[in-house]
Amino acid sequence: MADLIQLLTNGLALGSVYALAAIGFVIVYSATGVVNFAAGQFVMLGTFAGVATLVNAGWPLPVGYAGALALMALFGLLFYAVVYLPLSKSPVVTIIIGTVAIGITLQNAALLTFGSWPFRLVSPVEGMMLEVAGAVIPLHAVAVVVATALLIGLLWLLLNRTALGIAMRAVAQDARTARLMGLRVNALLAFTWVLAALLAGIAGLMLGPMWFADVNMGDPIALKAFAATIIGGFGSLPGAIAGGLFVGLAEVLGASYVSSAYKDLIAFGAMILFLLVRPQGVFGERIQDRG
Amino acid sequence: MVVRTRRTMLAAAAAVLLAGGAARAAEEPITVGATVPTTGPLSLTGKLYFNTLTMAAEDINKAGGIKGRPVRLAIEDAGASNSTAVSAFVKLVQETKPPFAFLTSYSTQNLAVAPEVAKAAIPVMYAGGADAVAENGNSWMFRIRPTDSLAARAMVRFMTTQLKATKPGILYIQNDFGQGGAGVAARRLEEAGIKVVASEAYGQNDKDFSAQLLRLRSAGADVVLVFCYPADGALLLRQAKALGLKMPVVASSAAFVPAAMQLLSPADLDNVWGVVDAFVDPGAGGRMKDFADRYKAKFGTDADAYGLAYYDGAMLMAEGMRQVGTEPKALRDWLAGVKGWEGIGHAYTFDGKGNGVGDVAVVKAKPGTKALEAVTSVKLD
Amino acid sequence: MRSVLVLAALLLAGLALSFVVSEYTLRLLNMAVIAAVAVVGLNFAFGYAGLISLGHSAFVGLGAYGLAILTTKAGWSPWLAAIPAVAGTGLAAAALGYPLLRLKGHYLALATLGLNVSFGIVAANWIELTGGTNGIAQIPGLTLAGHRIEGERTFLWFGLAVLAVLGLAALAIHASRLGRAMMAVRDDETAAAMTGIDVTGVSVAAFVLSALYAAVAGCLFAVHVHFVSPDDFNVAHAITFLSMLIVGGEGSVAGAIVGAALLTFLPEWLRVLGEGYLAFFGLMMLAILVFLPTGIVGLARRWRRPVRPAASAPGGARPGVQP
Repeated sequence: MADLIQLLTNGLALGSVYALAAIGFVIVYSATGVVNFAAGQFVMLGTFAGVATLVNAGWPLPVGYAGALALMALFGLLFYAVVYLPLSKSPVVTIIIGTVAIGITLQNAALLTFGSWPFRLVSPVEGMMLEVAGAVIPLHAVAVVVATALLIGLLWLLLNRTALGIAMRAVAQDARTARLMGLRVNALLAFTWVLAALLAGIAGLMLGPMWFADVNMGDPIALKAFAATIIGGFGSLPGAIAGGLFVGLAEVLGASYVSSAYKDLIAFGAMILFLLVRPQGVFGERIQDRG
Repeated sequence: MVVRTRRTMLAAAAAVLLAGGAARAAEEPITVGATVPTTGPLSLTGKLYFNTLTMAAEDINKAGGIKGRPVRLAIEDAGASNSTAVSAFVKLVQETKPPFAFLTSYSTQNLAVAPEVAKAAIPVMYAGGADAVAENGNSWMFRIRPTDSLAARAMVRFMTTQLKATKPGILYIQNDFGQGGAGVAARRLEEAGIKVVASEAYGQNDKDFSAQLLRLRSAGADVVLVFCYPADGALLLRQAKALGLKMPVVASSAAFVPAAMQLLSPADLDNVWGVVDAFVDPGAGGRMKDFADRYKAKFGTDADAYGLAYYDGAMLMAEGMRQVGTEPKALRDWLAGVKGWEGIGHAYTFDGKGNGVGDVAVVKAKPGTKALEAVTSVKLD
Repeated sequence: MRSVLVLAALLLAGLALSFVVSEYTLRLLNMAVIAAVAVVGLNFAFGYAGLISLGHSAFVGLGAYGLAILTTKAGWSPWLAAIPAVAGTGLAAAALGYPLLRLKGHYLALATLGLNVSFGIVAANWIELTGGTNGIAQIPGLTLAGHRIEGERTFLWFGLAVLAVLGLAALAIHASRLGRAMMAVRDDETAAAMTGIDVTGVSVAAFVLSALYAAVAGCLFAVHVHFVSPDDFNVAHAITFLSMLIVGGEGSVAGAIVGAALLTFLPEWLRVLGEGYLAFFGLMMLAILVFLPTGIVGLARRWRRPVRPAASAPGGARPGVQP
């Protein structure tokens, strides 16, 4: 029983990270139609923004986090201007390949800047453990789950209860009409990218203390986030969350109860199965909407 | 540039002293090729021997080069894929025609490059551990690290004789190194009549090992043999402690390179033994201390066994070139005959398959610290 | 007819190069030719039928592993082993295609990506058959009429011959009823169905054709490098194949070949930049996508347009239209 609790918490913490990465991916996709293959590198940059402010510059925690997020916001803006705008009229595949190309650049730029050594970010609750029925749970893992839940709540409020969020959704639905209605479409699109970068930044900062920061961590995260997105439903926020948690739990429980060598087949198998049986995922868009 | 000019002049001066009138030949550097992963996930370890190869070349040249001729390194990125490694090697051979080259420390890259080595007909040193690399009958290839099976056998021997464990569990990374090592360990244990209670794998990019570790515990393992790479090794040692695993852990070399050690706290190393290629111990004094001190001064981090292997290899190469010159075939034959050459990390003797190292060290952190100390050295035939 | 000439010109350029360039460049040319075979195949799926596949390197891997296993474990000649390797891959593609190809656009892209990841996991863990992550070494080379096809130059001649045959076949299919059906499906599925085209059948046919070419490329890879391991067929390679097609110019055989060559050589050329060369490679690729939206072949076509405005290149003069 203790083991099961342990596995469930670890799976949920892992799943929260995947969910956040998936949300960043989904927000961009719903608002701009871009399938962002550099999404994993966004998270990697988030972690390294933390490395830059907390480790290299040695800023205290709150300031360091704020600084890292400011860097990520700037990065989102830059990405919008340099990558998204020039490619925005291109076909889906060209954009996919474009984000892959820029992902290669981001990964290697990080390698040049930070080197190949892994870094460790210190958690605000470093070393603190909770004991629940014999299972040992790092407080940080709990904090990650709680922070993810909180963040999702805020995001929901933003998208559904604020003028800004409603305008964003209007642009996502139909950019041309939104423009005709007098919405500043470009500013809203830019904000979407900033938001995605911020979410990836938070995911990166949260996983820094759980994993080690390493410049090659982006692609594996992206693969899991893709699986999460498909399982939950393309373009759906609750879907991204459900999918992320499913992939995280499948990874940990699969390794425990099925086979540690083949555990990743569960997530990707489920992803393919979902595509075949229910391509719109658990909570997904109608697939005719895009594609 | 200034430095280089001065070095060339020094080398030239040395050549005049050493070889009398052979000053003209002394002008011409000897180009030695090296394929090193400097990009991608493998660059963490690649950087280690990128450093020591550079350092070795400087040391060789400071000592007068090869009969007055300076050594010049031509390094190409081997990336993270086999085909990049092969391209890098072919490019080196093509463009610099080196009499000798270093390959990477990754077995699959070594395996992929092997046919090109035979084609180029130059001796190479490599540090991939998989036994398969040496089974191809390629007489140009010399291994400057223990084979993975040697390390696995040493783990088994240490575990049975010193730790007196009878219910081993195995945890391995899902790549050529981990699968190979785990396979050998399992076979050895079976031969010794010991049953492996659980054998668990994890992916190269995995970040959570709780499922594997808990399975090892619930299977009743009284020791865990770990075959890992640097960062994942550090992460799983931390998670093992966080989960409260009490049994001793015997981990492979990579978990003890400085890049991994810096991620750990002393508590993470409690009850952890390392079966490492070589123990880089500044406390040992002599050449080891000299090497470790200079490495730290030059690169700002501690030296490690991977880097040392290439440093030793470069020195051995230089010795060979001094003895028989730079003709590839002669150099190959000389290397094949090396017996008990005293490097810093090992005494190197190449067997019929080109394996040069026959011993590994067992290390452990001093209680409450991260400072490693030697426990024993395991020598196997 | 003109695309046959373009194909011939490209192949002759390769042949001419084979006499003058260095061993290293010959090796890169061989890698480019092998990639080109795979990308000409991918062109059926994506360029003609509009199916985004990020699983192409799994099919290359199936072909390569098929040949590797049959030659090293069963002792078959590589010629003989190539037949079941290629045919088996085609069957696998058909079996996967029927359920998968109901998906479109990025759904299909991610499904095939998942397929490629799954292939890697199985190849890395089915140790008895595939040698696991250690891969399979010492795959024998080809011999033809007593001559060994060994050495980069000889292999390049052989590779070019294979590419010539497969390139011509691709052009013939493009001009055939099947090829036109594929493009009709790509451009408007509903309209195609209304004219009596079996949409699923045509899509699966394109997918199978692309897998057959991929398997041939895999066989070439195995007998060229003599070593296969799961890493050689991972998702990154699949993305590279698609990138080659886009950069060269989708929908055209010449574009597939040019793209394969360019993206094989570009990172190697950029090595002179030192440490940051891959960062620069990414930027260059992005620049190509932004400034040459129809690929390199598209650029050539655009540049020629003022002279022959009505020229409908048989390579498929499609500006980046998406299904």
